[in-house]
Amino acid sequence: MPDELTPGIDEARSGTDELTPGIDEARSGTDSGHMGAEIEPILTVPPVIGAPKPHPILVVDDLTRSFGGLRAVDVDHLEVERGVVTALIGPNGAGKTTLFNLLTGFDRADTGRWSFDGEPVSSPSPDQLARKGMIRTFQLTKSLAKLTVLDNVLLGAPSQIGERLSAAPFRSRWQDQEEANIEQAEELLDRFNLAHMRDELAGTLSGGQRKLLEVARALMADPVMIMLDEPMAGVNPALAQSLMHHITQLAFEGLTVVFIEHAMDVVTGISDWVVVLAQGRIIAEGPPWKVIHDDEVIDAYLGRRRAGAGS
Amino acid sequence: MDFDIIFGNAARAAFGPEAVILALAAIGLNVHFGFTGLLNFGQVGFLLLGAYGTSVSVATFGWSLWVGILVGLVLSVALAVALGFPTLRLHAVMFAIVTIAAAEIIRILIGSTDAIGLTGGPLSLSFDAGAFYDLNPYPDGPHDRYGVGTFEFTGQQMWVITVGWVLVALVSLVVFLIVRSPWGRVLKSIREDEDAARSLGKNVFSYKMQALIIGGVIGGMGGVIDAIKTSGADPNGFRPQVTFFAYTALLLGGAATYVGPVLGAILFWFLREWIESFLRQLSAEAWLPGTVADFLDGSEGVISVGMVGLALVLLMLFRPQGLTGNRTEMQLDAR
Repeated sequence: MPDELTPGIDEARSGTDELTPGIDEARSGTDSGHMGAEIEPILTVPPVIGAPKPHPILVVDDLTRSFGGLRAVDVDHLEVERGVVTALIGPNGAGKTTLFNLLTGFDRADTGRWSFDGEPVSSPSPDQLARKGMIRTFQLTKSLAKLTVLDNVLLGAPSQIGERLSAAPFRSRWQDQEEANIEQAEELLDRFNLAHMRDELAGTLSGGQRKLLEVARALMADPVMIMLDEPMAGVNPALAQSLMHHITQLAFEGLTVVFIEHAMDVVTGISDWVVVLAQGRIIAEGPPWKVIHDDEVIDAYLGRRRAGAGS
Repeated sequence: MDFDIIFGNAARAAFGPEAVILALAAIGLNVHFGFTGLLNFGQVGFLLLGAYGTSVSVATFGWSLWVGILVGLVLSVALAVALGFPTLRLHAVMFAIVTIAAAEIIRILIGSTDAIGLTGGPLSLSFDAGAFYDLNPYPDGPHDRYGVGTFEFTGQQMWVITVGWVLVALVSLVVFLIVRSPWGRVLKSIREDEDAARSLGKNVFSYKMQALIIGGVIGGMGGVIDAIKTSGADPNGFRPQVTFFAYTALLLGGAATYVGPVLGAILFWFLREWIESFLRQLSAEAWLPGTVADFLDGSEGVISVGMVGLALVLLMLFRPQGLTGNRTEMQLDAR
């Protein structure tokens, strides 16, 4: 059974990046081995639920959230390693997006505590967490339709002087910062193949372009950890390819990436660690090539290829 | 049928103090609704507090007019804060309901007989606005008239509208300066999707409150001009339709533009007065059948407001962005 699954995944992988050896090679290639030291530790972590990580950026304990009688999220312990790509997978209704909402302050947990970047999160409010560097995107893209593409990205820039009412009327006080921000925003637009749409209203972009725009905007916010909710959904294969490339690129640059995804080729292709959620609970975590062979994951999420073929 | 008189009346209304007041109300509403997406249905409450703050200070407490104006504006800020704190975290619809209710509550309280000692209650309150008219540079003899033909104002009226339109220009300039900045970009992002703004670290509540206060104070200025123009205040002048007239002006001119609310206010009063004068002249025509003349007689004002409403409906159908708006921007609503 595992033998039947792997070849397909390997094919998908080779389209973007080779997984285990490939990523390390690519990283040492771009970053002259500096990131290699950061990558190694995650490979030594045992694939056990709640396993402690060497450099956790996010530590979650006893997090629960119920909607009526339904326990949407029930996580005993979860650590997210800094500087790597972690995928969050699981069947529909497993609580992935709810978990994102809780961690980023968009929803209120019934119980639980978590710390981000070494600091406990006491009263989570989305904007405060964002200012600390926890930046998320949404499953249903939130492009600001009546703002230009450039303005969408500029909005992401942190600590803008011109966003204070006292400074806003006086252009000279914020112009320099704005120009620097524009330069950075243009680089990002360039990177995401959106430069030609710079002055168009974001509402005129295609669904896939909006996904890219949202990622660009999130990156403009100078994140420490970026949380992408189904960044590839509805994006055509070519764009998805380039988005995957960007995500691995982000991790090379030291950013922590957590993303929700259903396409297994994407998950195995770019993630260093996979957390599997089902009915609100973590049912497995580990490196992708181990997790996809886990019986419980196969039962809950991946499904068996042929009846009876597995055992 | 004397079209000179019809056009003269219409032009006088379009550039008179009523248009100034409506323009200020609409500019404030533009900050709330046009740029921030706050559905404020109680803009008239800000005008009321501006007008009564000024009138009560002078008439009841005997303070100077300038202190009264300040009191009027401070009360507008207070209303914005009082409205905003409990409601700005709620859904947009809740905010709309609370604002319309709050404005009505204030009007009814101020107009109640229990408040006679303070606000004059149901009776209108009048005060001496002499401190303002003392500064009038326009000679104001009984025969002094400014304008051409039937489009003319007295010296006192000239002074009110000069100050009024300068104020409109200044306020529009300030709104332009703050909205084109990164601060304005945050406002617009809140209008488009406040969760997106939150996810990028913007304190949405604080920005909404700032917008509410700024737009409210601008509305309050309209109230102050109203008080000075009439040297008093009357609770009946602050019924909910004032808010809806301001919305009409805003949508006519184009929401989320800088000149839209001003243009809209001028157009609103021009149309309203033109139609009313026209109907008045028409009902006096000898060839008109008696039943039609009877129907028109005395209903000209009501019909004219109805016609402006019809104009708004047609505008929404054929030019939904208003006179100065951007059509492509508008079409994005059909996402």
